[in-house]
Amino acid sequence: MFGRYRGTFRREYNDILVEAESAGGLLTYRRRCEGKTFERILVSNTGEVVINPVEPVNLPKEITNFLQVEFSPMMIEPGASRTVYLKFPVEIGVFVESARDIEVLDVFALGTQKYALYGSPTNGVIARYYESVVYPEIPSVDPFREGVMELSIHNTCREWVEVSRVVFESTDMKIYYGDFVAATATMKLLTKTMAETDFIDAPLRPGMVKSVELYTARKIPAIDRGYLMEWGL
Amino acid sequence: MAFNVTEIFEIPIGVGDITVERLLYFAVILTVGVIIAKVVATNVRRALSERLPVNERELLAKLVYYVIIVWAFVVALPQLEFDLSGLLVAGGIAGLVIGFASQSVVSNLISGLFLMFERPIKLGDNINVADVSGSVEDVRILSTVIKTYDGIYIRIPNEKVFTSNITNYVHNAARRFTYEIRIRYEDDADEAIRIAREVIEKHPFALKNPAPSVFVDNLGDNSVNLTAYIWAPARNWWDVRTDLLWKIKVALEENGIEIPFPQRTVWFADGLEVKGRPGEKKEKEN
Repeated sequence: MFGRYRGTFRREYNDILVEAESAGGLLTYRRRCEGKTFERILVSNTGEVVINPVEPVNLPKEITNFLQVEFSPMMIEPGASRTVYLKFPVEIGVFVESARDIEVLDVFALGTQKYALYGSPTNGVIARYYESVVYPEIPSVDPFREGVMELSIHNTCREWVEVSRVVFESTDMKIYYGDFVAATATMKLLTKTMAETDFIDAPLRPGMVKSVELYTARKIPAIDRGYLMEWGL
Repeated sequence: MAFNVTEIFEIPIGVGDITVERLLYFAVILTVGVIIAKVVATNVRRALSERLPVNERELLAKLVYYVIIVWAFVVALPQLEFDLSGLLVAGGIAGLVIGFASQSVVSNLISGLFLMFERPIKLGDNINVADVSGSVEDVRILSTVIKTYDGIYIRIPNEKVFTSNITNYVHNAARRFTYEIRIRYEDDADEAIRIAREVIEKHPFALKNPAPSVFVDNLGDNSVNLTAYIWAPARNWWDVRTDLLWKIKVALEENGIEIPFPQRTVWFADGLEVKGRPGEKKEKEN
């Protein structure tokens, strides 16, 4: 389903249908996902429809830029580094692209969403919440429901640190897709309660295709500066 | 007698050596300045429409607008033979006079500047100030415009805003709201709590952390009273509040747990004789 399409097309996967159909000379984009539908008439001569996974912070409506993945607690030895794999939710973005511009047409996803507060009500941030198991190897996933995040954790402080969640700013998120959806991230533990997180702009496996980011399509300038988790790990 | 139109421009207006021509120049420069200010401010708004939050964008656009107006004013003043250095000398006295004359205006202006920089409220925030509730439409130099929830325009002088207690409902990232849910005494309260928690858990914007809390709060006259504390994103809490309550009610009823009506058990000292019961009439006839 992920990829670029020109003119009419039809893609189905379980409970998802995405198509562009020509009727009476009008090209109509149509999407059905878990009973919900969306339709737009496309007036385009040369435009392409791009479908790819996007930053999972848009549904049911966009209220935050943050993603929090919670997992079973890990104790990290001082100075230790370890790469683990987590699952993160996938949202599917549909874009219309021409030579000069790209615009978001639709965002949808399978399943439900949940949000949480990271930090205090006064200073904290609302984040998309997701629970994952910690995997030593790349786990198998439904590419239209979940993605795989390679998380490299490095403990730079002199104490043992317990970690049970990671929070990212989604504007930094670089998503790649192929057989599955993937992102690569780092988490540098600074103290027992603080860490720096960031995404790495690299595919998890060779040959994966980079997704069009929502923030690029929406022309929102974002500086990739990572996120400082200062409200606990 | 020939009449030369340009002679009109040479006519003094009666204040110093200022002629109609110079007055016109002054007006033209000021008008051009206002037009330029409007065009530039509009373009600043447009250029930054997707790059800056609405509040910062409006502040910047207003700043640009007023800087250009002041600049045009300074450029135009010499046309009226107004010596700016004289202004500095006379500034103290003039300031005193103007200060007394426009005390409330200056007070509103200063309050407006403080509001813009301290920023207790931002455009679009839901607030209550000076007994007015609504969303902030604009924070101007002299006044703040509130749109009430009924859609009514209310202008509050900035001095009043600045000196009043301001309740900003969306300043924090999240806020809590409460439901009181009443169930019958014969219903299983633990089951009701489990069902309510399940419904809350399914709602995307009923926050996972801080966790919602549902518990038996008190034993009422007619019902067991449960209380639910739910946290939601501050900007969406009303939607969550209106959405969840009915879902909880429906889920409880689907599981045989009902919201009780008020009831009163009445005891009669001499017992209660019920007349007109079925069969009573026949007995009398016999």
